[in-house]
Amino acid sequence: MRRRPGIGGLQNAATARDQYRLLGENVAKIRTDLMKEQLATFRSQLEEFARKHKNDIRKNPAFRSQFHEMCAKVGVDPLASNKGFWAELLGIGDFYYELGVQIVDICLATRPHNGGLINLQELCNVLRQRRKSDRGAVSEDDCLRAISKLKALGSGFEVISVGKKKLVRSVPTELNKDHNEILELAQAQGFVTVDEVERQFSWTSGRAIDALDTLLDEGLAMIDDGHRDGRRRYWFPCVSSIATSVADI
Amino acid sequence: MQKLGDFKLPHFFNYPPYFTLQPVRDTRNKQVQLWKELILDYCRTQKIFVVGLEEDFPLFSNPVVERSLSHEAREAFLSALVSEGRAEWLDKGHRKCLILWHRIQEWADIILSFVKDNGLEDSVMTVEEIRSGTESRGTELHGIDRTILIRALRLLEQKGKLAIFKGTSTDDEGVKFSL
Repeated sequence: MRRRPGIGGLQNAATARDQYRLLGENVAKIRTDLMKEQLATFRSQLEEFARKHKNDIRKNPAFRSQFHEMCAKVGVDPLASNKGFWAELLGIGDFYYELGVQIVDICLATRPHNGGLINLQELCNVLRQRRKSDRGAVSEDDCLRAISKLKALGSGFEVISVGKKKLVRSVPTELNKDHNEILELAQAQGFVTVDEVERQFSWTSGRAIDALDTLLDEGLAMIDDGHRDGRRRYWFPCVSSIATSVADI
Repeated sequence: MQKLGDFKLPHFFNYPPYFTLQPVRDTRNKQVQLWKELILDYCRTQKIFVVGLEEDFPLFSNPVVERSLSHEAREAFLSALVSEGRAEWLDKGHRKCLILWHRIQEWADIILSFVKDNGLEDSVMTVEEIRSGTESRGTELHGIDRTILIRALRLLEQKGKLAIFKGTSTDDEGVKFSL
């Protein structure tokens, strides 16, 4: 643009700047208003939806999981706070807190037996048995959600994936790669032998024994010297369902 | 679920490592606890008073998983019961064990209520009569182990609830109740 000298030129430039600013503010305001309006509509729609499908959300685990997915996509966490309209509307927060407490309970009760590592599927089964009289089913998805809320307590509840299975860890044991591989191998039969571990992973005998000893010390494994072939077997209660169904839970 | 007669076996009975004594302390404690409960439960429902370590006690082996308890394990579980007063060794070699699913004190209480229920407060009975007579039929005292019965009676004698006197042969000790 050609430079225009003089007072008039400076004044013109200042007016132009002011006008641009005004226009900009206007556009921004219109946009914000629009957004606010959209959000309000969205919120009311979501509320409407939740109100309409309250019973489905409460009773049907599949529906509940889809509802959560939908909320997550639009950046709403119905569990973020127990206050507010979600809790009032759905009682959904309480549901997960209750679940969380029961999960902690089960993990503690089975800890002497499985060393604080429990198969997610098994955990769900025990949970369902316990809530038998209660209305509504509990899905694995619900368990995972409740566990993720427990993290807020800093209590070291964590879900780890070993092979195809998910295990819930309630002790602060750090499992390294070797341990995870052994757990994965054990899923086939519920147990492993030192020979099998060495053969499968081409480890030295020391490495296999070391890893197995650690698992034993952590209470995650049990030895079995009773088989005919005389080879010591290491059983893992956390991957075999028969063992976790301790009757006295 | 696996059963022994009409007795429902717990899940852990089918999990092979429970038949091997566990080396890690916490795991072993849990294992011993489960076995103690199982042995007491089984003996109570089956009315078994004496367990021989070298005998074929049905709980000591599980053909389904092909496992049986070593002598060391049997002794460890029974010793745990002994240390809690729920069992007593009958010999120094620890080969036979008396199982007290009722403690002696509890057996004494059972005898007292049996006496009251049957109006025997001032009567005389022989020990054999208490164990197998018509009065005790259908009560827990029917078929009770003789050693346990005598121990309970002696406890009551100390408290002055009865007097035990010898008959002509050892088999017919008499009991005079005085409640």
